[in-house]
Amino acid sequence: MENSTERKLFGFKLPPKTVWTKRAKSDLRTGLLFLSPWLIGFLAFTLYPMVVSFYYSFTIYHSKRAPEWVGLQNYANLFADDKFWISLNNTLYMVAIAVPLGLFASFVCALLLNLKVRGQAFYRVIYFLPSIVPTVAGTILFLWLLNPQVGLVNTVLAKVGIDGPNWMADPNWSKPALILLGMWGMGGTIIIYLSGLQDVPQSLIEAAELDGANWFQRLWHITIPMVSPITLFNLITGMIGMFQYFAQAYVVGGGDSLGRPLNSTLFYSVYLYQNAFLYLKMGYASAMAWILFIIILILTLLLLKVSDRFTYYSG
Amino acid sequence: MSKKMFGVLSVLLVASMLLTACGAKPADENVLRVWIQWGDNPQQIQELFDKYTAETGIKVEVTAPIDDDKVLPALTGSNPPDILVLSGGDAAKSFYKEGLVLELSESITTGNIDMTDMYEPPLSQCRQGDKIVCLPWGTDAYALFWNKDLFEAAGLDPEKPPSTMEELVEYAEKLTVVGPDGSLEQVGFIPNHSWSHTDLYVRNFGGFWYSDDGSALTANSQAMIDALTWQQQFYTKYGVDNLQAFASGFGEYSSPDAPFYAGKVAMMVEGEWQVGPNFIPKLKPELNYGVAAFPPPADHPERAGTIVNQGTAVVIPTGVADKEASAKLLAWMMSPAIVAEEFCYNANLPTSKKAAEAQCFKDLGEKFQVFVDLMASPNAYAVITTPISFEMNDALGAAEEAILLTGADPKETLDAVQAEFEPKFKEAMGQ
Repeated sequence: MENSTERKLFGFKLPPKTVWTKRAKSDLRTGLLFLSPWLIGFLAFTLYPMVVSFYYSFTIYHSKRAPEWVGLQNYANLFADDKFWISLNNTLYMVAIAVPLGLFASFVCALLLNLKVRGQAFYRVIYFLPSIVPTVAGTILFLWLLNPQVGLVNTVLAKVGIDGPNWMADPNWSKPALILLGMWGMGGTIIIYLSGLQDVPQSLIEAAELDGANWFQRLWHITIPMVSPITLFNLITGMIGMFQYFAQAYVVGGGDSLGRPLNSTLFYSVYLYQNAFLYLKMGYASAMAWILFIIILILTLLLLKVSDRFTYYSG
Repeated sequence: MSKKMFGVLSVLLVASMLLTACGAKPADENVLRVWIQWGDNPQQIQELFDKYTAETGIKVEVTAPIDDDKVLPALTGSNPPDILVLSGGDAAKSFYKEGLVLELSESITTGNIDMTDMYEPPLSQCRQGDKIVCLPWGTDAYALFWNKDLFEAAGLDPEKPPSTMEELVEYAEKLTVVGPDGSLEQVGFIPNHSWSHTDLYVRNFGGFWYSDDGSALTANSQAMIDALTWQQQFYTKYGVDNLQAFASGFGEYSSPDAPFYAGKVAMMVEGEWQVGPNFIPKLKPELNYGVAAFPPPADHPERAGTIVNQGTAVVIPTGVADKEASAKLLAWMMSPAIVAEEFCYNANLPTSKKAAEAQCFKDLGEKFQVFVDLMASPNAYAVITTPISFEMNDALGAAEEAILLTGADPKETLDAVQAEFEPKFKEAMGQ
């Protein structure tokens, strides 16, 4: 039942067109019925709020009173709002540094955890454990580890003669501190990489070995290309997650001090939260949400497009 | 799958969803719901409200503390709590402006609430023009705490706290100890420890960031510039990095290692709860310290005894099912006996004058009495709140950080805040 012409949308391949036989319709109905709990939830709690927030983004809307249509005013105000740019910059900093760094570190850890050594299962558990610590608890723990005077990190640094920074109290170090915190919880990404590494065909590695390829050459020419779809997946989900970075910054800010010191931890979602729930500017916050959605959408499409060049699908 | 089967399954699905939706929250008209934004001890608060049940037979269900982000959806939804206790007056005005909470004159009449029994400063946090949009339920005030042992060690009279802001600066100098490597070992006074006290300093300099009637924004008034300049000198003197490095080693706020308890900071601005049973008497009972009103500037002795109240505000959501029931519960909460019981327990200041006379407050000791007496001071104020309080406070917080931590010029920084917020303020006030 496949249509021989390839169908594309924005350059992306679409599945072949379905021919609606009686059987296919019945299957669809049954499928939809089984999907209905999710479908209803999606329509009511995701799609509807999204559509409504799109409308609100063109209005002045606080909470209870009817929204007042102002056209593109919220968007214009946002572009003139210093805090909007600060929050976007802070977020881009995290996306640009924390995501690639996290990917690299996860990959290296996954390589190590894929080695055949005694007690490997134990190491794997150890590396995954931090991921199951609740975000709030992990963040508070890190605030202690990074305490400039009594924290473990600066104590160790002092032992090797380095005067550790003030971490969370210093605007230059607050984001690197949060990146460190993020690296600690990368167990999920490691596991995904590990499963990818175990899928790399042993025959290819062995063939390369016979041809005299050294470890680095095997890694570069076989392993990395073979796990490139995993890298792409981790990159996209990591990027989306980082654009929505909130919980850790909220815990560090402790409610009253969101964004401190000196707005260095004022991330996009934090400022959005402030506008929506503290300043009661729902229209403004909705406009922020839509700008974020568009940024993420464009970057994701771009990554998918560019990924054709560096992603290898063995199937 | 047959059409019949499909139909049966669909009906079952819809029916089960409807049943789930209806069963989620049984509507019990005899239960009043109270949401409280603070509350370290939910069980104690529930037990307090159980007394209302004992008196009236009406069950009260307390949720404390309630998360900030649950409040707004509840107020805009169809099933808000019957009483909402906010941690500050700031939100009450913005909620009222949005039509989310009731103006309370009718409830005050229904509940026969004695408004003359309330201290004016905390009540002023609830006044919006001639309207009352919340009622204060317990409040806080800040004063100067000094460590008598450290005073003695520095050659100062341990029984004499500084009597002017200028003297405080001198004392702080004497009380600061610098180590051989230039790092700080003990600091006399950190103006924004444990959080901002600009409200207290600016009142001592004779102003605030709003005009007294709350109708104008005065973020760059001379009093504000003076208050921030006065604070900045401590950072300039000790060095920002030095002071931050020192402060970063402070122990937890509620622990025996808190910097004032541990003798790292000789003077601090703190609230009345510190002298209550959960703080100094429990965490550092041997601490030899005194408490007095924060001193005024030397050229304005008439400003002695200045305090700035900031406290809890009770509101009734617009969408409550039974306004009368809410009003009666509100009146019960405002009664002197209940105010005394709740705020003696927490060692916070009562908002009812009659409650302030209760023995339980006297039992909290002489130091607590310093705060109770200050409530009646002619220089007792409250933080002025407006519908844009939250946004304004965040902006002022950022300005304060820039001035203290980066050495930014107070006047220029505050001018920028004024320029940015004046239009927003006027719009919010409908001017």
